[in-house]
Amino acid sequence: MHARYLRTLKFDELELASRRTFFRVTDEDLARLASLRSFAEKHTEAIVEAFYELLLGHPETAKFFSDELAVKHVKKLQRDYFLQLFDGRCDLAYVENRLRVGAAHERIGLAPKWYLGAYRRYLEVVREQLFKTFPSDEARASMESITRIVFFDMSIAIDTYIAANLETIGRHQLAIRELSTPVIRVHERILLMPLIGTIDSLRANQIMDALLLRVVEEQARFVIVDIAGVPVVDTKVADSLLKTTAAVRMLGAQVILTGISAPIARTLVQLGVDVSSMHTCARLQEGIELALQLAGKVIVDREKGGAP
Amino acid sequence: MIDVVAQYRLEIQIEDDIVIVRRKARQLAQARKLDPFATAAITTAVSELTRNVLVHAGGGSVVLEEISDGERYGVRATFEDHGPGIANLELALAGGHSTSKTMGLGLSGSKRLADRFEVKTEKGVGTTVRIEKWQGL
Repeated sequence: MHARYLRTLKFDELELASRRTFFRVTDEDLARLASLRSFAEKHTEAIVEAFYELLLGHPETAKFFSDELAVKHVKKLQRDYFLQLFDGRCDLAYVENRLRVGAAHERIGLAPKWYLGAYRRYLEVVREQLFKTFPSDEARASMESITRIVFFDMSIAIDTYIAANLETIGRHQLAIRELSTPVIRVHERILLMPLIGTIDSLRANQIMDALLLRVVEEQARFVIVDIAGVPVVDTKVADSLLKTTAAVRMLGAQVILTGISAPIARTLVQLGVDVSSMHTCARLQEGIELALQLAGKVIVDREKGGAP
Repeated sequence: MIDVVAQYRLEIQIEDDIVIVRRKARQLAQARKLDPFATAAITTAVSELTRNVLVHAGGGSVVLEEISDGERYGVRATFEDHGPGIANLELALAGGHSTSKTMGLGLSGSKRLADRFEVKTEKGVGTTVRIEKWQGL
């Protein structure tokens, strides 16, 4: 899963090098971090405690930690996580490991603001301990190295949040696409397909497939395709409508295209698109009337006594 | 003398970018009070040309601009790619000739939809297409 994020984020050696340069994570910093390992080990416990004091003391973050056991488990993860900052390495394996953090947070719905806020608390405690333990020059240099790797970490976590979000959006789009090609039976052997939204190549194919299947199922003779809800009819959309028309005709039915606005009519003519193979109407109502008429039927006004 | 009032640069990398680019174009046209015909024309032309960049060059970019000549507002779109270039520009502009199994009306149709149309193409270097659509007088 995390390797997949590496791909989604296009995180390779090149990106790693570029990011390390930008965050100024030098080999010297890594060496310094490695030398701070024993300091880190000594204070991890106190740091993690301060960290959770903050998280558990805030109602909106406390709810992420349901019981004692869960807290115990994440504390252990947190200890490992902090100690890894002092491994003295910053390679792709390290990045992949860091991707887990953002991914895990996204999964449980912990927003980036809580992650960033909690990290601030972490830095506060580390700074305190550093200046207590080391002479101020050394403490300052150490703090700088820690800040660099921590910001580097945060950039990765934020990227992961975004990548995970993009995946969610992608899944939703798929779901919407599946819902978005309804074929309605208006009358015996007359079908209606209202198209709403953007028609990209994937949807164009779905539209054609859904329609052809229903034409055969319903032995339809007329198919009304309403494009009132399609924002832009360019040559690609026109092309897919014409191809659908040709395929529908092969099955013995005719397409009636409705919902054509004046600007779309003019645009299509200027583009040079020839829609003469389709019956076309401005409005859906006219399309339904036309289909009924062509099927030898008629809508009668009861008030006026019947015969047309 | 044409002033550029605002400028937006958008990348064209995947099919979804077509929607993003043309929505932005429509938004600018509406904001600058182009009538519904001119708005449909620029939006559709932008849609065609964005797809051209994607299909023929594998990607590129577009700069959308709100422009003014002191009396009217307009929208300008400049597409740039580093693809193979258009092998036969005369044929492409004549229309009905496709190199990608579609209608072959993208470039010629956009030219008819726009008030101004410029194309520069060089084999192996890339293509730049610029269109403008103005408010009616």
